[in-house]
Amino acid sequence: MLPPGEIRVFAQYGEDFREEADVAVVGSGPGGAVVAKELAEAGKRVVLLEEGPPLTPQDYEWEGARSMTRTLREGGLRATRGYVMPTMQAICLGGGSLVNSAICPRAPDFTLERWCTQFALAHTTLAGLSPHYESVEKFLGIAPTPENVQGARNLLFKRGCDALGYSSEPIPRNVRGCRGSGECFTGCRSRAKQSMDISYVPAALRAGARVRTSVQVQAVVSEGRKARAVVGQVVAPFTGRRSYRFEVRAKVIVLAAGCMATPVLLQRSANLANSSGQVGENLQFHPGVAIQGIFPERTDPQFGATQGYQSLHFLREGFKLETLWAPPGVLAVRTPGFGHALKGRLAEIPYSATWDAISSCHSSLGTVRVRRGTLDPALVWRLDERDLPILQRALWVLAEIFFAAGARKILPGVHGMADEFHSLREADPLRSKGLRPKDVVCGGNHVFSTARMHGDPRRGVVDEYGRCHDLENLWIADTSVFPQSPSVNPMLTCMALAHRTAHAIAERV
Amino acid sequence: MMHAMLLLALALAVAASYALSRIFLGYPRPASRPVWLSRRELAVVDAAAETLFPLGGAIPLSGREAQIPAFVDSYVAAVPRNLRILMRMLLFLVEHATVFFPASGGLLGGGMRRFSSLSPEQRVAALTGWEHSSLFARRLVFTSLRAILTMGYLSSPGVLRALGLAPREIPTPICEADLLYPRVGALPSTIALRAADLTPPSDGTPLGPRGPLRADYAEGVEP
Repeated sequence: MLPPGEIRVFAQYGEDFREEADVAVVGSGPGGAVVAKELAEAGKRVVLLEEGPPLTPQDYEWEGARSMTRTLREGGLRATRGYVMPTMQAICLGGGSLVNSAICPRAPDFTLERWCTQFALAHTTLAGLSPHYESVEKFLGIAPTPENVQGARNLLFKRGCDALGYSSEPIPRNVRGCRGSGECFTGCRSRAKQSMDISYVPAALRAGARVRTSVQVQAVVSEGRKARAVVGQVVAPFTGRRSYRFEVRAKVIVLAAGCMATPVLLQRSANLANSSGQVGENLQFHPGVAIQGIFPERTDPQFGATQGYQSLHFLREGFKLETLWAPPGVLAVRTPGFGHALKGRLAEIPYSATWDAISSCHSSLGTVRVRRGTLDPALVWRLDERDLPILQRALWVLAEIFFAAGARKILPGVHGMADEFHSLREADPLRSKGLRPKDVVCGGNHVFSTARMHGDPRRGVVDEYGRCHDLENLWIADTSVFPQSPSVNPMLTCMALAHRTAHAIAERV
Repeated sequence: MMHAMLLLALALAVAASYALSRIFLGYPRPASRPVWLSRRELAVVDAAAETLFPLGGAIPLSGREAQIPAFVDSYVAAVPRNLRILMRMLLFLVEHATVFFPASGGLLGGGMRRFSSLSPEQRVAALTGWEHSSLFARRLVFTSLRAILTMGYLSSPGVLRALGLAPREIPTPICEADLLYPRVGALPSTIALRAADLTPPSDGTPLGPRGPLRADYAEGVEP
């Protein structure tokens, strides 16, 4: 038996192994890391299992494509079928928190009320979640992005919103001492972003948790209504080559592998916890659309908080607006044209700002299914025509804000429209043209509901606290339990729910 | 009957010879040994890179000068196997779809030659056809190709310097996590840092365009 409070990495495995614990947590992203820390601090023997490796700043790749092949599943090229939309899930210690923009708003009251009403929940109100939100916010130092690291592209967004009377505010983020490097996507070299690997995971280790990296959980072993163990194999970083086998037996198993991997894991485990038939169903995204605007003056967009400003003005209409930055090569993949026209547009990046809208598209649903011979999921999802007006409205509002902020042109990135609009009048097709789903280029990195919570066991996989209806000791703590879109970026709500789940487990073990 | 069968066999043999020579013959030997791509695939990437990013214009470097083929080669090597296959299929499709979607000039003007053998003007016409196709699948092929090559173009230190987008030197504070994790692939015993090496966390001083470039993106450094 290994001593408590220890981390193991790929180079340390030399044979098959077996461990025992009170709690085995699968996945070290924002859900799993919170559960591991809280339960370790409650005195439980915790094993935290992560398929990816820990990455040090020396392992970060600044260049976007190379970074994606190291930190994201399927090299960052995972996409849905049905409607082709890229979606990114991380594979590293800390999960998505290592490569996201640290955006941490609370879910709005009206959304949580809708969850309670539509999904037979009693305690998932803003008031009910507040203590959990507060705990996470305090631990991670979540605060609005300071003005001095906003950079021009973020402040231009504020200027445009102010001119139009749309509310906007600095984005609350889990960051301490941000320098505005704009490098959230590839790993924060300033060590300012409080990703799980430098916040919750070290805290879990301090409290005695055992952390096992480069281990791929392949199945949950169960007997009757009890989960007994998780089994899997050691996998090499980046290549995924499998080697030694392991088994972790535990009194409680918490799946926090993410909205894609958790349902796949259940499906591979003899369709576990699926008497409701909801495992892998209800796949929802926040389809995101973006517009690039070009300004008369340099914006030097690589400087400033990666995503520093937002507008919640249109939340009830179904979309949230944000500023955006990513490695130039990744951000520019949508730039239209080729030849000298393309080069000319790339040369305008130093004068640009890119702003996006993430949308709550409740009619656009899909499925996650296990794919033969792999743990990668088969994703089928369609952008429903009924949700198109939300995206179209969001595109139009973004165009309004750009021109109100002084942009000299925008690149809408919509098929069937001009590559560039030079005035709001020119951009009118964004408002008036009938769009088809395939005209719109979307990305969807927020994923929900593939093991949703529901008060009625016939209609959901877990109860309000994350415990599977079908098994006494199997819990889920990632965004798959969200009954629907949270209307805003999901990380903080995921952590708050995980915090609540951890305390519910602590009371029972 | 026999005569017709002979004619058919001859036609099939000619077609097969044409297909084989079209697919395999006449490709130049690359200057350096690729990691993953074949010389045929490198030729497609090179031709597409020079079409998407020709010499001159707003950014002086061409796609070839920005070493896009080498980037794509290493990128294809780094992605998972199923995606690697898809990427290679994409290159094959771009190279040979001129049979079904000829570039300008048609059969007599050489518009049906493989993409990498077309004239620069014909390559432009061929890619324009992909970009503006009414078929979503064709547009998807084009946007996928352009995305990969654009990532390659904007990975070039020379291009990034020309745009003022090259990364800056950032001192990285040493935090508790740095005492816990070795570099990927290494043993924990290789962690040289100790508690005494911890530094104050980032003080939040904003970065700006006047800071020094990161050493591996400085002038004169190319991959």
